[in-house]
Amino acid sequence: MMHSSRLTRRSVIKAGLGMALATTALTTLGLPMPAKAAGKKVIIGAFADGGLTPFKEKIIPLAKEQGFDIQFLEDEYGVTLEKWFADAQSGAGQYDLYLLDDPWVPQFGAANVLEDLGAGGIDGSDKDWIGPMIDMGYWPPQKGPRVKGFENAKPTLICVPFVGDLQTLTYRNDVFTGGAPKTWDEVIAKGKEGVAAGKIKYPVVFRGVSGNPIVTSWYPVFLSFGGSFFDDKWNPIFNSAEGKASADFFVGTMKQNAPSGVVEFDSDQEGAAILGGEAGAIIQYSGNALKADDPAQTKVAGKLDFGVVPKQEKAIAQMGIFIAGVPKSAPNKANSIEFLKWYVSAETQAKLSEAGSIPVKRSAFGVAKPGNRLIPIALQQLDAGALPRPRTPDWAKVEELLGIELNKALQAGSGGGAALDTAAKQVKDYLTTVGYY
Amino acid sequence: MRTGTQARKYRLQGAGLDLALPYLMLAPGLMVVLGVLVYPLWDGLRASTRAYRYGSPVADVGFQNYVQLWSDAQFLNSLWVTVKFVALSVSIEAVLGFALALFCLHEFRGIRLLRTVLIIPMVITPVVVAILFRLIYASDAGMLTALSEAMGGGGVQILGNPLNAFIGLVVLDVWEWTPLMFLILLAGLQSLPHEPFEAARVDGAGPWRVFADLTFPMMRPVLAVAIVLRTIDAFGTFDQVFVLTRGGPGEATRLISIYGYDTAFKFQQTGYAAALFVTIGLVVLALAFSAIRLLRRVDAS
Repeated sequence: MMHSSRLTRRSVIKAGLGMALATTALTTLGLPMPAKAAGKKVIIGAFADGGLTPFKEKIIPLAKEQGFDIQFLEDEYGVTLEKWFADAQSGAGQYDLYLLDDPWVPQFGAANVLEDLGAGGIDGSDKDWIGPMIDMGYWPPQKGPRVKGFENAKPTLICVPFVGDLQTLTYRNDVFTGGAPKTWDEVIAKGKEGVAAGKIKYPVVFRGVSGNPIVTSWYPVFLSFGGSFFDDKWNPIFNSAEGKASADFFVGTMKQNAPSGVVEFDSDQEGAAILGGEAGAIIQYSGNALKADDPAQTKVAGKLDFGVVPKQEKAIAQMGIFIAGVPKSAPNKANSIEFLKWYVSAETQAKLSEAGSIPVKRSAFGVAKPGNRLIPIALQQLDAGALPRPRTPDWAKVEELLGIELNKALQAGSGGGAALDTAAKQVKDYLTTVGYY
Repeated sequence: MRTGTQARKYRLQGAGLDLALPYLMLAPGLMVVLGVLVYPLWDGLRASTRAYRYGSPVADVGFQNYVQLWSDAQFLNSLWVTVKFVALSVSIEAVLGFALALFCLHEFRGIRLLRTVLIIPMVITPVVVAILFRLIYASDAGMLTALSEAMGGGGVQILGNPLNAFIGLVVLDVWEWTPLMFLILLAGLQSLPHEPFEAARVDGAGPWRVFADLTFPMMRPVLAVAIVLRTIDAFGTFDQVFVLTRGGPGEATRLISIYGYDTAFKFQQTGYAAALFVTIGLVVLALAFSAIRLLRRVDAS
């Protein structure tokens, strides 16, 4: 005999009421919702960036196989710092894991809002970590100057490197036919030949927008000229002779060889210039570099190669990694730490490397088939030299002050050195008011 | 004979409920106002007298944050940029809005459609407006550059040049908010009495005389209200600048709202930012009161 179940208005209302009552009862009693207990839930907050594409596409499915229920919440870069800091400070518990930009670690560390991952069982002393990367996860820093109030505090591992990003050179191999240009002078000279030959429109393109973008573009030039940012007492020394020479070169020579609107360029315009075939060379993080071989995303597939950043004195790049921290207010703290342990294991890092991302463990650089030809170049750059930005919770303000002055000099096309003098005074004044000296 | 309900009612009245009832009925609304308006305001005032480090209050500093503002070159610059922006954009919006309202007062075929079309910019989300203008202004792939290149010119520099970026921001604001002025002023014009205008026409007054002696004086209160409202609103302009220029190039378009936001959330100087916003609130209030007083004085004379 067959039963026929008819859907009536009354049955729908009864079922709805029943579910509502059950939900209310379970919530009131603090019991977990049965429907949501599908896996070990981890809510990850990230800012939108191409550097995370391999993680999203290849590693999240692997994590699901391991029983993790990953919720990946993305936001625009410009709003994530304040959003997550407010979340962590208020204890709102909206996230289990933040994928921070590494300069933000000191701010979160000083506010004491992140879990001690060392106590959670993550080994920061593992020799397989890329040294400068794991160093960035400690607050206060293990090396270098410390800000007031943290001089004698024990360094704690509050974050672990997640995706090992750093700046490298992307260049047109039909313009720089002898391989990656070794110096900035070569970038300009060969680039001009490329322009004259009609292969490109500009020898170089960079980010000129005030604040973080322009400072990020200037930084490798600054480092390559031999500049240092602070002394060991937090006095700004970026306006040294080397620093001024780099700034003059940046706002003068580089601007003259870049698009006229470079003052308003950010990473999207910079990426469009190299992928669209207009630029001869750019310094960039991995986000756009990962698109270099995809004909759907570039007009010059096969013509883009990677190299170590050019030098005047040294070939040093800026390191800017994605670094993961677990807020003290995380609703699924244990799951997050378990996920991180799995994620930073040599095996998973090898998978990340095969997926095309720069790993954070040295062994993963040695996989037979790295998913992107940028990966061995990234290792070369790490060995040549890559430095993080100064480890201070006030970096955002310092970067803002410097970025405004650099941007003004870039508009003028001259006066880089004077801009650094002005910015150094402003930075010194600011740090004085917040008690650095 | 009294019913049970009536008896209960009289007993309650005797207990003073009739006196307490209005307050009891006001209580929920009052609680909401206290919770969402008074407490945050008080908390903001308290925060403005404290110094914060790493997101937490560390010391009471009295009025030091307020004093420090006036020696902060960045604050003074952003205040000056904001005043210029508000003065220029609100003036243009008032003139254009008035002109459009006068034009749309006439009844002709298609006027309803025109009135509807004119208020469209106002109903678009500010962030979307900013993105649209970015697509127009961008020097590499913007519409203006494309037009210029099609006519044999070069790239058009709007966002990379301080003066052009500022003017570009004013143009955006005028495009978006002239409709609000238009709407308020049109409503005002439509509510004016007909008799004085008919009398003026009978007396042979021309359009300019009617405007100068009747329309403008009669519209002055409405115009003042519209300008005050728009001024207060323009002081808080944020989304458009955040998306379009982020305050650049340099500090050319850094309005006080952007500087305050950065100070509070990016640089974590909560107390200083609170002092900044309280100061700006007072400046806006002072402007509004001045405008109203000026209006009363003009009306009285």
